Amino acid sequence: MSDLSAFMRFAKSYQSGEMIFSEYEPGDSFYLIQSGRVKITKIVGAIEKNIDILQPPEIFGEMAILEGAPRSATAIAMDPVKVLEFNRANFEILMMGNPQIALRLLKLFTKRIYDQKRRFMILKLEDPQAKVADVFLMLDETQGDPGAGQSVGDTRDFKVTVEDVAHWAGISIQDAQTVLGHFSNQRRVEMYQDRIVVKNIMDFQRFVNSRRKKT
Amino acid sequence: MPKALVYRANSVIYFQGDAADKVYVMQSGRICLTSIDIETGKEIREIIGMGEFFGVKSALGHYPREENAAVLQDSNVLMFTVPEFEAFASKNTRIIIKMLKVFSNQLRRVHKQVENLMEKPIAGGAENGLFRTGEYYLRNRMYSQARYVFSRYLVYYPTGKLADQATKYLELAEASLARHGDGKGPSPLGGPAIAEENSLAPDLGMRKKEPSALSDVAKEYYNAVSLFSQEKYTDALNVFKNVITQGDDPEYTNKALYDAGRCLFALGQWDAAIKHLTGIVQSAPKHPDMSDILFMMGQSWEKKGDTQRAKGFYSKVLSMSSDDDSSARIKSKKALNALGGA
Repeated sequence: MSDLSAFMRFAKSYQSGEMIFSEYEPGDSFYLIQSGRVKITKIVGAIEKNIDILQPPEIFGEMAILEGAPRSATAIAMDPVKVLEFNRANFEILMMGNPQIALRLLKLFTKRIYDQKRRFMILKLEDPQAKVADVFLMLDETQGDPGAGQSVGDTRDFKVTVEDVAHWAGISIQDAQTVLGHFSNQRRVEMYQDRIVVKNIMDFQRFVNSRRKKT
Repeated sequence: MPKALVYRANSVIYFQGDAADKVYVMQSGRICLTSIDIETGKEIREIIGMGEFFGVKSALGHYPREENAAVLQDSNVLMFTVPEFEAFASKNTRIIIKMLKVFSNQLRRVHKQVENLMEKPIAGGAENGLFRTGEYYLRNRMYSQARYVFSRYLVYYPTGKLADQATKYLELAEASLARHGDGKGPSPLGGPAIAEENSLAPDLGMRKKEPSALSDVAKEYYNAVSLFSQEKYTDALNVFKNVITQGDDPEYTNKALYDAGRCLFALGQWDAAIKHLTGIVQSAPKHPDMSDILFMMGQSWEKKGDTQRAKGFYSKVLSMSSDDDSSARIKSKKALNALGGA
């Protein structure tokens, strides 16, 4: 990693277990990890889910580029952690002398833009069944990510709960339950406590395509 | 080494949906990108300028092309693999900075589009969420986390509707941390630990002796807040009305009066919301949430299309509030500006 000693005025440290920011907190800064690990979590229903564990030189909190948007997850130091904290106003200074960091942020932005566009496509569908099916298609597209799930033939095993699906589909948990119950009766999905299995992802693809064309 | 390529007029460099692993720079000729706007479904055409990069986002993000790149006149382009592009960009940070600006604007725009589709009510989403996050940590005996969240809540929402409760919970978190340490001791907010301890005296309507235990009216009130946060506004409204009718505790009656107004507003019943809120203004002119109440009345009038009255209420908020950065004040200022000033 390049020499960041010139940026010590942006440095902050946290003790192990200390919160860096909380879900729903308004935030205008993002962080570059210099040492230690940071755990990203989110409270879904009545449990706190671990979303990710980040290490140097990863960046987090980058959605602070959106003015006034509350944090979508919580960041907690797992070890004694050192970070550089920057914001919309000063990130250019830091990026200018550190192309590697700038490149990393650029890649994060491309990923976030795609995530948001994909989210938009799901929300734009009118039929709740199509929304739920499209959530699985979206998750399948990111199967390359570690921990996303396993695939055998056209069957896909997703480590998600009804709450997650409801969140992504932008519908109530109750509605998500109804749709998934319906799919389950049709034997298109199998529901488990901590995961949902889609029996034939291609079937969902055809279903979503047919609903998307109508609009 | 990037490759120099020549494309003839009417050829296509890549199609929407193609796997993406190359980045291009336009050197001469005429190339047009066409894509479909996700919001309107209309075609967007963009002519690439000389020296401009294209195909960057999908190649760096490892997702399929989102547009067609069609050659209008014979063109010369440079083609980079992703590692070649990264090596090149690392020596030209200005290019990355420029792209960062373009991408962050795109991110803002698409995020806004998503938000518009979510149709979340303006009232207190993040505020409620933050409070509930603190509650979760407190219930699960993660006292230092709870302490952090409630203290942040009080920083951002010092006059928020849950500020009193947040203060109590903050003290509770500190006391529990000092007495038991993180993860130890009984859960201060019920949960399994307390339920077991009290199992000898269930269903008798007895008030629990725990210092932290909420009164019945408070419990009912927070049930309604929870229904509200689940967007079950009709159910929440009924419970808030119950709290108001009981009138046991002026603190919760006041809170419930205000929140019932938020429910009517969230349900889009502008007339009912205005009538209800006017009632509060008349019966409780010193209500702690008065600026929020007046702001909501302004919003209701605006929704009804009466911008004159709406402006009147926004101006009222600005004239009365002594708290400089209360959210009602900031929102009123914005709303007033959006309507073209007072």
